[in-house]
Amino acid sequence: MTLFWSIILWGCMIWLVPVMYFMLKNECKPKKNIIVGVTLPYEAQQDEAVLALLERYKKEMKITCLASLAAVVPGLFISDVGIAMTALMLWTVAICLVFFIPYVRCNMALQKLKAERGWRRDAEDASQAVTDLKAAAAEMRWLSPWWFLPPFIISLIPLFFDRSIWGLWMFDAAMVPICYLCYRYLYRSRAEVVDENSQRTIALTQIRRYNWGKCWVVAAWATGFLNVGMWLTSEHIWLCMAVILVYGLAVSMAVIGIEFRVRRLQEKLTADSGRGYYVDEDDHWIWGMMYYNPNDTRLLVNARIGINSTFNMARRSGQVIMGLILAVLLACPLAGVWMIGMEHAPVELEVTETELVGSHYGGHWSVALADIAEAEIIEELPRLTRTMGTGLSTACTGQFSSGEWGRVTLCINPQAGPWLLVKDSNGKLFLFGASEEGAVEKIAASLTAAGAWPQGGRAIP
Amino acid sequence: MLLRLDFNSDVPIYQQIRNQVVTAIASGELKPGEKLPTVRALAEEAGINMMTASKAYQLLKAEGCVTTGRRDGAVVRIPERGVSPPTMDGLRLRICELRLAGMGKEEILELCGKIFDEEVSGR
Repeated sequence: MTLFWSIILWGCMIWLVPVMYFMLKNECKPKKNIIVGVTLPYEAQQDEAVLALLERYKKEMKITCLASLAAVVPGLFISDVGIAMTALMLWTVAICLVFFIPYVRCNMALQKLKAERGWRRDAEDASQAVTDLKAAAAEMRWLSPWWFLPPFIISLIPLFFDRSIWGLWMFDAAMVPICYLCYRYLYRSRAEVVDENSQRTIALTQIRRYNWGKCWVVAAWATGFLNVGMWLTSEHIWLCMAVILVYGLAVSMAVIGIEFRVRRLQEKLTADSGRGYYVDEDDHWIWGMMYYNPNDTRLLVNARIGINSTFNMARRSGQVIMGLILAVLLACPLAGVWMIGMEHAPVELEVTETELVGSHYGGHWSVALADIAEAEIIEELPRLTRTMGTGLSTACTGQFSSGEWGRVTLCINPQAGPWLLVKDSNGKLFLFGASEEGAVEKIAASLTAAGAWPQGGRAIP
Repeated sequence: MLLRLDFNSDVPIYQQIRNQVVTAIASGELKPGEKLPTVRALAEEAGINMMTASKAYQLLKAEGCVTTGRRDGAVVRIPERGVSPPTMDGLRLRICELRLAGMGKEEILELCGKIFDEEVSGR
């Protein structure tokens, strides 16, 4: 892999660093009386010891940020695709975890200081829950599902023009109603109670609900246009990838922007809170990140940090979901290991009694011998563009297209020629190859012996 | 109005809800005609079972402190004048307890007056 592609590869993930840095650094500002996951009264928010801890936290976050960026540099010079992918995945998992080290350190230091200074509200321990009745009674208006209908229709447009990969279009189109379902049913409906001021609670809750809807509407519309963009660029793989990248970036940036806006409004609205009575639920939070409340029947609750909700770890379903998320995160580097295996696995070609079968790393592509209409041995590959499948330097499998042939199914090692081009009785093209030298010629001989080599086929050995 | 539920208390959750709503109506914090959350909303907000929330509302409705409709949820109302038999029984029991504690009529009336004043002034 060249340096250019390494930059593209790492560039796809490097934005995680500033996002994590700014999001976690933003936790230093008091929002709903909470600083770095710790509830503090108004007077404590300006305490010198607290400010010193926050300064240390900011410094540690900056060091983590710079170290994370520096770790990218050696990764740029890895030439092996599989190893580069493994390194990228390991780096990504590390980024998702390493930024929480200063966060947890600061949270624990603040909790300790809070206990020492007597800022802890003893009356409200882990067995208590506070609910604002007026805020709970305030009417909750859901966005009309009509907001999600136009993007759904837009996402179906490619289906009318290109049915060759209808499964992909349908899958993408299904994401739009899924956005609506997430908006409607993944919302943690609890009001954002900060203190006894019900009007403030209602305002904070409305801000959160409104922006929650905005996130999903943006995601739904972007998904609708993604389908159209992918359809328009399906013949140009790099343009298509650029469209997907722009989609990912646009949705992520929009959601992060909305979240920052919500946090700014929370900060503004609760600037004078915490002077008298204030809600303190710290006993339900582990390190200010994980919610654990056995008395709470809810599964989804408002997250203290980051976007969206978190799960109640006291519930079995919450533990299972969080366990699965963690398992998926930690399994990500395995994708790189899988790719190393894929890169080094040989492409094989064989003739069975009834079929010509190409195989690579567990995948099989075959043509029935009786269906072979034309066959030809190719010494040079034309320019091929991947539509769907694997495109490594040692193995190309799946659906590709070429200006000369149109759509073609591949199972080849592009470095090891010659290759066998086969057309079946339906006009579908297949290009087979093998990593082993001379294997294709042997297969052509086997086909001839089996009487499957068509009349007029060229380069008969 | 903030509802503070103590899950370690011996008092059942539905009773805690009932007690705090009654106190809030008496102190004027909840006014007649004011809407209370629906059973579902209250259960979701407090993180309690729907049956618990429903039981609290049934108790309040039986005591005339709220009216419930299918659409509007519960609405606060002032109960009709007069003391309900359960309140009367409760009062009798408390007076007996105070007498057992060695208090006389004057002392009990004085204590009641003090508590009444505290409630009226919102403590």
